[in-house]
Amino acid sequence: MLTGDATTDEVAEAGLRGLSQTLFRRTSIEPAAPLGVDLETDELAFFPFLYWPVTADQPLPSREAYGKLNRYLRSGGMILFDTRDADTARFGSGSPEGRKLQAIARSLDIPPLEPIPSDHVLTRTFYLLQDFPGRYASRDVWVEAAPVDAEQVEGMPFRNLNDGVTPVIIGGNDWARAWAVDTSGRRMFPVGRGMSGERQREIALRFGVNVIMHVLTGNYKSDQVHVPDLLDRLGQ
Amino acid sequence: MTGTLVLDPLIPLPLLAIVAALALAALILSVWRRLPGWWLRGLAGAVLLTALANPAIQQEDREPLSDIVMVVVDESASQRISDRADQNAAALDNVTAELARQPNTEMRVVTLADGEGDLGTTLMTAVSEALAEEPQARVAGIILISDGRLHDIERAPNLPAPMHLMMTGQPGDWDRRLIVSNAPAFAILGEEVNLTLRIEDQGDAPDAQSVLLSISIDGDAPLTVPVPIGEDIQLPVTLPHGGMNVLQFTIPDAEGELTNRNNAAVIQINGVRDRLRVLLVSGEPHPGERTWRNLLKSDPSVDLVHFTILRPPEKQDGVPVNELSLIAFPTRELFLEKIDDFDLIIFDRYRRRGILPSSYLENIRNYVENGGAVLISSGPEYGGAESIYRSPLGAILPGAPTARVFEEGFVPQITDVGQRHPVTEQLDLLSPNPEGDGPGWGRWFRLVDVLVPEAAMTVMAGLDDRPLLTLNRIGEGRVSLIASDHSWLWDRGYEGGGPQLELLRRLAHWMMKEPELEEEALWVEPTGQTMRIIRRTLDAETGTVTVTGPDGTETELTLEEVSPGRFETVWDAPEIGLYRLDDGEETAVIALGPSAPREFEQTIASAEALEPLISGTNGGVMPISAGEIDIRTVRPGRPAAGRGWIGITPREAYRTAEISITSLLPAWAYLLLASLLIVGAWLREGRR
Repeated sequence: MLTGDATTDEVAEAGLRGLSQTLFRRTSIEPAAPLGVDLETDELAFFPFLYWPVTADQPLPSREAYGKLNRYLRSGGMILFDTRDADTARFGSGSPEGRKLQAIARSLDIPPLEPIPSDHVLTRTFYLLQDFPGRYASRDVWVEAAPVDAEQVEGMPFRNLNDGVTPVIIGGNDWARAWAVDTSGRRMFPVGRGMSGERQREIALRFGVNVIMHVLTGNYKSDQVHVPDLLDRLGQ
Repeated sequence: MTGTLVLDPLIPLPLLAIVAALALAALILSVWRRLPGWWLRGLAGAVLLTALANPAIQQEDREPLSDIVMVVVDESASQRISDRADQNAAALDNVTAELARQPNTEMRVVTLADGEGDLGTTLMTAVSEALAEEPQARVAGIILISDGRLHDIERAPNLPAPMHLMMTGQPGDWDRRLIVSNAPAFAILGEEVNLTLRIEDQGDAPDAQSVLLSISIDGDAPLTVPVPIGEDIQLPVTLPHGGMNVLQFTIPDAEGELTNRNNAAVIQINGVRDRLRVLLVSGEPHPGERTWRNLLKSDPSVDLVHFTILRPPEKQDGVPVNELSLIAFPTRELFLEKIDDFDLIIFDRYRRRGILPSSYLENIRNYVENGGAVLISSGPEYGGAESIYRSPLGAILPGAPTARVFEEGFVPQITDVGQRHPVTEQLDLLSPNPEGDGPGWGRWFRLVDVLVPEAAMTVMAGLDDRPLLTLNRIGEGRVSLIASDHSWLWDRGYEGGGPQLELLRRLAHWMMKEPELEEEALWVEPTGQTMRIIRRTLDAETGTVTVTGPDGTETELTLEEVSPGRFETVWDAPEIGLYRLDDGEETAVIALGPSAPREFEQTIASAEALEPLISGTNGGVMPISAGEIDIRTVRPGRPAAGRGWIGITPREAYRTAEISITSLLPAWAYLLLASLLIVGAWLREGRR
C-alpha cells in the first residue's frame, strides 16, 4: 500500500520482496513480484494480501477508496496494518502512527479484534509459532476475535473456527524492515543483536510465511486435525 | 286438533301458594273449633283457589308432517368391485319401491363417493351431513347401502331412528392382498433397507400355501419369487441408484378373488447418499483454494478431505521438523487403498512434482473408468511441462494443453450446449446484464489453451471461444476440466463478480451423479393428480411421451420447450395408480396417490364396524344377496328388523298451526259456587 512517503514505500517493497523470496525458497508458493497499490486508482480484487505501513502524515482514503477497501475485506482479502512503533508505543495509543491508524480504521468494516490467541490457525499454517516479531518483538498483534460460540471441543487441540480468514492483522513490529532485502538479495536492516537477532529475523520471516499461507489456505490447517478421523471412517 | 287442560293462574304461583296456605290454616282452625260448617268453608276456599288457578283448555290446530327416510348409497371404490354396483342399484330399487308404499313417507337419497385424498369411505360423515339438513324429529329411518367397510365410525352422529345396513357382497367372497407395512421415504444408497411384506387372504379363501411375488424396480422386468401366504416376509432391498426409486410388488390375480387392486403395492423410496466424500488436492496455496474450501465446507452433505502441497520435496530450509506444522501426504492410503471411497477427486492447480508416482495416477484412471469422478481445476501449470496431463491420467482428461496460456481479460460465455446442460443451464440468469446482451458477470484473466477431444462437451468458453469448461464421461465415471484458475475473481466481486459458487456446486454435484443434474432426464412432479412432465435433454427437440396408466391405457403427450433443453407439459391423470412414461430414450415411473389405496385394504363386506351402532338403534343388517326386503312401520323402541323385513318408526311429527286457550268455567260461575258454599256455611253455623 503506497503511503506517499518514499522511504516507507521503498522499505515496504523491499520487505515484501524479502518475504516473496523466502516463500519461493521454502514453500510451494511462488509469488510474483510485489506491486505498490494506489488505493484511489488500483483494483484491489487481484491482491490476496495487502501490507499497509501506517505513517503519521499519510492522507485518509477517499470515500470511494473506503468502499473499495470494505468490499475487499468482505470478499476475503487481508490487510496487515503495521504502525512500526512497537518500540515506543503500545498498540492503540501514544504514537502519531497509532492515532493515524485509528483514524483510518474508523470507517473500515473491521470486526471485533483480540490479541492472537495461542490456538489461532496463524500459529500453525506452516511453521509452529507463538511469537510474531518483526524488527521489534512486541506481543501486541491483533486479529479478528473468535466467535463467541467457538467452544473448545473436548479432545480437540484447537477450537473449530469457520474458514473465514481474519480480514486484518494489526501490529507495530515493523515487519517490512525485518523481511527487507535489496535487489541483490542482501538484508537491508539489522535486527536485534548477534545470533539472537538473526533468530528473531528468522521467526519474523516464518510469521510472514504463516500469514501468506493463512490468506491462501484459510483454515486448512485447522481441518487437518480431522483428516485422520475422516480417513479412518472411509471404507466403513 | 288436540285439547289439553292447562293451568293459567291469575296471580303468580307463590302468591297462590300463600293464599292456599291461609285457606288451609282457616280450615284447620274451623275444624279445631268444631264449627259444623267447616267442610262448606273448606269447599268454598277450594273453589276460590281453583278460580285463582284458572284451569283452561288449550286447543292446538296441528298439521301432520311426512316422515323422512334417509338412504345413503356408498359408491366408493370398494363398492365398484365384483357385482356390487348392480347390488347397489337393486337394493336402491327395492328400498324405493317399498318406501313408495308407505303413506306419508319421503325418501332422501345421498350418494357417497371416495373421500378426498385417501380418506376411504366416509360413510358416517355423509350420514351426519345429511341428518344436519333434515329436522331430526321427522327422520323415521336410515338405510345404508354399503359393504360396511367405513373409515370414519368415530364420526357417527346421534341417531334419532333405526339404522339399517343393506350389505353388498356375496357370502363366498374372498380376496388376497399384498401389504407393505414399513416402507421408508428415504434410504441411504448402498445400505440395505428392510421392507416387511405380507400376503393375506381374507374371507372365504381357498387353501393356498404360497404365491408368486414379482418385484419390479423402476418398471424393469420383474423378478419372481414364491412367498408364503399369511406370514410377514422381511425383504432386504438395496437401492440401485440415487433419486426416486419406484418399487412395484405384484402378486398374480387369483381365480375368484374380489379385486386385483390390492394385489400390487408401489413404493417410492428416495435414494440419498450417506455423505459425499470429496478429496481436494491443491498443488499449491493460491487465491482460488479458499473458494473451493468455502464451497465444499458449506455443503453439509460433503465430507472434505483436503491436502495442499505446502512444501514440495525439492525445497528445504533446514528448519527442524518440530518447528514445522507440516504433515506427510498419505498418498498410498488415499490413492491406492481408499480411493474407491471417494465420490469426487479434485486436482486444484496440481502439478507433477514427483509426489504421486505414475502407478497411482494410473489407479486414478481406473477409478474414473469404474465410476469415479475427477475434476481438474487447472492453472498455468496445466500448459507446462509439469502438467498433470502428461501422466497416465492425461488419456482421460477432456482437454489436451497446447502449451499456450493466455493472460488476457475475457468474459466467460455459456456455449449452445452449455445452455442445455444442467451444469450451466440458466447460469447467466443469476448475473443479469443490465446493459443488454450476454451474461453480466466479471472478466477472468487467464486461460489455458486446450484441445478438446471429440467425445467431450464444452459448456463454457472463454477468449475467442476457446474452451473454458469441458465435461466428459469415461466408462462409468466422469471427468471435467476448468481451463482457468480465475473463478475466484467472481467470488471476490471483481467487476460485479459472478455465480462462482453455484457453478462449482453444480459442477461438483454433476460429477457425483446427482440425479437432478443428469443431462438426459425425464421426470414428473406430481401435484395431487396433476402431473408436470419434464424432459431435459441436450438435443434440440424431443419426441412425444407415452404415458401408460394403471389400467394399461396409453396416452401420447407432446412436450413444449420452456427453456433451452427443457421441455414440459402438464397432464391431469384420470386416477391414482402407477404410471409409466416413455419417450423412446428415457423412461420414468411415477406412482400417483398412495401405494395401496385405503379403500382396498378391506374388501370383504362386513357389518362388524357398524354392528354396535346399528343394534343401538334396534336396526338390522340385511345382506342384499339374501334377497329383497319389506319395509314395515314399528313403534319406537321396538325391534325394527326381522327375517326379510326392516322397520321404520313413523315419527308423527306435526306442525302447530294455531293455539287457543279457553277457561274451563267463567268467573261468574266460580263466584256463584263460592257464594252458595259460603252462604251455606253461614246458614249451617248460624242455625246453631
